[in-house]
Amino acid sequence: MNMKMNANVWSLNEGELRTPQMNHVIMMALFIGVGVVVGTFGSLAVPLGFVSAFWPGQAIQSVGCIWFGMWGGIASIVFPLISNAIAGSASIAVSLAYAPGNFLQGILAGWAFRFFKCDPRLKSGKDWAVYTVFGGILCNAIGAAWGVMVLRMFGLISPSSTLTVFLGWSIGNTVPSFILGAILLKFVSPLIVKSKSFCKKYWA
Amino acid sequence: MESVQTKKMMKTLLALIPVESPLYSFHPVSRLLLFVITGFIPLFINMPELNFMFAVVVLLLFIYSKVALSSLKMYLPVILCAGIFTFLTFIFFPGKDPDYKVIGHVFGLALYDQPIMNAFIAYSKILALLLSSIFYFSTNRERDILAALRTLKMPFVASYVLGLSLRSAGMFLEDLHTVREAEQARGLDYAAMKFTDKVKLYSMYIIPLISLALRRSDEISNALFVKGYSLKSSGKRADYILTKYRFSASDVATCVVLILLLVLIVYFKYRYQWFGSDHSLFQYVIK
Repeated sequence: MNMKMNANVWSLNEGELRTPQMNHVIMMALFIGVGVVVGTFGSLAVPLGFVSAFWPGQAIQSVGCIWFGMWGGIASIVFPLISNAIAGSASIAVSLAYAPGNFLQGILAGWAFRFFKCDPRLKSGKDWAVYTVFGGILCNAIGAAWGVMVLRMFGLISPSSTLTVFLGWSIGNTVPSFILGAILLKFVSPLIVKSKSFCKKYWA
Repeated sequence: MESVQTKKMMKTLLALIPVESPLYSFHPVSRLLLFVITGFIPLFINMPELNFMFAVVVLLLFIYSKVALSSLKMYLPVILCAGIFTFLTFIFFPGKDPDYKVIGHVFGLALYDQPIMNAFIAYSKILALLLSSIFYFSTNRERDILAALRTLKMPFVASYVLGLSLRSAGMFLEDLHTVREAEQARGLDYAAMKFTDKVKLYSMYIIPLISLALRRSDEISNALFVKGYSLKSSGKRADYILTKYRFSASDVATCVVLILLLVLIVYFKYRYQWFGSDHSLFQYVIK
């Protein structure tokens, strides 16, 4: 029963045609705004310069990609550029270098939920497991690895602190983003999956 | 008196700035270019004194633009914590190099010359970049950013998304304010709440706020549809915002100087190894 429900979220109904619409673009823009606020708050709450050790904005990236596919992926790239600039937590050059990491950090959960046919409403143990592994642990590990690599490239952290910064970054981001993301998926997904903005595929 | 003063001030993304600020004699494109160029220059400079001077120049730009320096107060924790964190990582994780020289001890830990120098370099870059970033958002409004991007011929959809995103952040905060006021009207006492309860409450705010965003997306897309906008063909349209700005000779000169400055810094850095830490005064002081 559960499997059937999971598959239904992503599978197209008979005759259903899905194409990118204006509401996807608008939702992406609004979601970027939400990300800017959450990301700026995270950067200002625990300010460690260019290093991120408490950033709930990651939840917005993962959840955005689960709900809105590639539109969430674009939002994952754009909103950190703005929130980093407003919070002063990274310059434009560093933020641009972060962009691929931000994209991967978000889209991993979106891909996993579609690939494993999980329900964004987190109804089963499998949904929770996939969210924990792909939307919490792995994506933050990838994002932290990328971020640390960028900081090394710009000479903003000492080479021997790489592992410590990586662990602090990935663990520090995983906790708040996992909690916020779980709340969003559990309580807001029921509304989103019924909306026009929800993307069963990657673009619509 | 107060209303007269309010009329003369303009709200930017991060601060209040007088309408007659001399900075507004420059076109938004020049201001955007200043933001981009100053976001790159410190990355090419490994002499902390130059980056600190750069930061001072940015502070002078704040004064020139008549931005109240008190608006920087909220960034003090960022500036201090970033410094402490940067120095701690270089002190606790200096790495191993036989050429390192011990220059002192802190809490029983040896301080080495090169890691401390590297900490100064990293922190001076962070400070300079941070201030230049804050400067741009303290002196520009959302419409200035849009005007700059549209002047640079950014596609309408992209500039519209960016504009709506920035506006959406403001709407999100207004919605949050409304939710909090509604809670207070029902007798919720924040002061009496435990820290863990406050964390839970803040996390739960996101639910009505996202729901509002979802409803708003439908309303906005319907409004755009009614006005005949579509994803593929928005058509050529008159742009009211752009009529408010003029790209003058001083803008041309500013843009040329800024681009030239960056090109020269990059050229001298890679051709003649200028701006390296070996030439820094800090190197002599530390040694």
